Amino acid sequence: MTGNRLRAEGLVLTYEDRTVVDGLDLEIPDGQVTVIIGPNACGKSTLLRALGRLLKPRRGAVLLDGAELSRIPTKRVAQEIGLLPQTPVPPEGITVSELVTRGRQPHHKWWQQWTEADEKAVGEAMDRTGTGDLAERPVDELSGGQRQRAWIAMALAQDTGLLLLDEPTTYLDIAHQVEVLDLVRQLNRERGRTVVVVLHDLNQAARYADHLIAMKAGRIVAQGAPRDIITADLVREVFGLTSVVVPDPVTGGPLVVPSAPWQRG
Amino acid sequence: MTVPKSPTRPTGFSVLRAGRGSFLLHRRATLVAAVLGAVLAVTAVVYLCVGESFVSPVEVVRVLSSAVGGGQPSPDEFVVGTLRMPRLVVGLLAGAAFGIAGALIQTVARNPLASPDVIGVTHGAGAATVAAMTFGLTAHTTLPYVSILGGLAAASLVYVFAWRRGLHAARFVLIGIGISVALGSLTQLLLTKGDYLVAQQAKVWLTGSLNGRGYDHALPLASILLVLTPALFWAARAQRTVSFDDDTATALGVRLGRVRLCLTALGVVLASVATSAAGPVDFVALLAPQIARRLTRTAQIPLAGSALTGALIMAVADLLARKLFSPIELPVGVLTAAVGAPYLMWLIVRTRSRFGGAA
Repeated sequence: MTGNRLRAEGLVLTYEDRTVVDGLDLEIPDGQVTVIIGPNACGKSTLLRALGRLLKPRRGAVLLDGAELSRIPTKRVAQEIGLLPQTPVPPEGITVSELVTRGRQPHHKWWQQWTEADEKAVGEAMDRTGTGDLAERPVDELSGGQRQRAWIAMALAQDTGLLLLDEPTTYLDIAHQVEVLDLVRQLNRERGRTVVVVLHDLNQAARYADHLIAMKAGRIVAQGAPRDIITADLVREVFGLTSVVVPDPVTGGPLVVPSAPWQRG
Repeated sequence: MTVPKSPTRPTGFSVLRAGRGSFLLHRRATLVAAVLGAVLAVTAVVYLCVGESFVSPVEVVRVLSSAVGGGQPSPDEFVVGTLRMPRLVVGLLAGAAFGIAGALIQTVARNPLASPDVIGVTHGAGAATVAAMTFGLTAHTTLPYVSILGGLAAASLVYVFAWRRGLHAARFVLIGIGISVALGSLTQLLLTKGDYLVAQQAKVWLTGSLNGRGYDHALPLASILLVLTPALFWAARAQRTVSFDDDTATALGVRLGRVRLCLTALGVVLASVATSAAGPVDFVALLAPQIARRLTRTAQIPLAGSALTGALIMAVADLLARKLFSPIELPVGVLTAAVGAPYLMWLIVRTRSRFGGAA
């Protein structure tokens, strides 16, 4: 799997003095949807932050096209990697259309703050996310699902080859969760974008991932296609949960059904 | 490629093109700036008319035009051109500088409470200036720079104390208020220890007064504003990304630490220079940006709107200060404090209830 754009080598990530990720090697396969899963505090969001240069590695490096991420000017990185944090905070009173426009910031020069490329990217991003009808609405007044679509539209307008999403389904009800993940899937399929998503839900991860990375205590336990790696043993090892893995009646992929120890006999 | 169905531009903006250059223009903000400019012009004429003796607007306009184009000297030249005009110019420039300074620092702190007068910058500039005066330094050409040093020192002090694994807005404001009080006491101490005449002079300056201000006060202020204009264009653009949370701003390619530092420094310098010219006039920097933003309804605090609003507040406040208890003149700072203090209290109460009292 050499030649992938985004890689990590010997990555050590710490918050203050607490080591969260200790010596991790990783490749993000180009043109695929990679999903990172794991129990709370396993370091999955920390890893994503490092991949998006929001967290500087204590040791080791994240490499983009072979160059150390922390040495590339941040504006250049923003032209290649889009990142949506878990709980982004919008400027007060901003409208959806203006929020989406802000995604163009890394492409602007001081004398060229609005070009045809900007118009195209913004219009398309809003089309794809179905936020065109919300254009004039303030982001503060949107429902959770609408708001998340607006944020994704902003990240899309940034028009980057790589897109990192940190738990984009948190705070959404099940219908909106599926909507957002379908959108991610579609973007990857139609535009060939490399997407990395951190998810909580194992079954969603199994359904939407091309490449699944299972983490525990700051290291990778298993990675590969969901069909190949999701087993009852892996679920026990990673989450400490007894379960049965059955074929998903819709996709045929793996479906994790937790066992019910209280229901014996 | 198909044409997008969705809007391709942000709502409420027009695109301004000039050659290969292109800029987004917020229509409402532009309109508001034009209206504020017009109101400011009218206020300026009224300001020049009103005083111990009334000069008719026609005569004021004649004095102004003769100043520009030569022509017949007007009999009211002395009252309008020599007594009132320089004072108005200092007021307008200082008001504009305070307005921009407030806008920048409130943007960086993401908190309407964090204006240079609340977080100690103007008091730092004040203390430094009084100290310089006490030691016999009274040149109008030097004092603005002393003032800038004082403002920067106070801001650095607040920064150092408030920094604890990042900069928390509420802590920043609380420590700023603390430093303000400490610097206020220091100023008082300097006044008591210093020469009586100097203290007398400094005291009037400290309440923020435009009385006896002349072009020699306006000059440093005007030149610094002029020199910083390109930086302000940069700042207006930087505001768009700084108003997000840290992670989103970084993801959009902003070197957050550096940009914040530059914006803050810019605000501190402007507030300090304005303080040097007009004294630490409180609350203009606090009020102007918030009023301007409510008028323009932009997603960030408008710089041009804040400057115009600041200038307008100063002109109106000084007009009232001169006329309200005529023939006794109040310092303009008393007037701005009368409006600003209740607003500050309201803001603190509202902030407390919104964040559950946590600081």
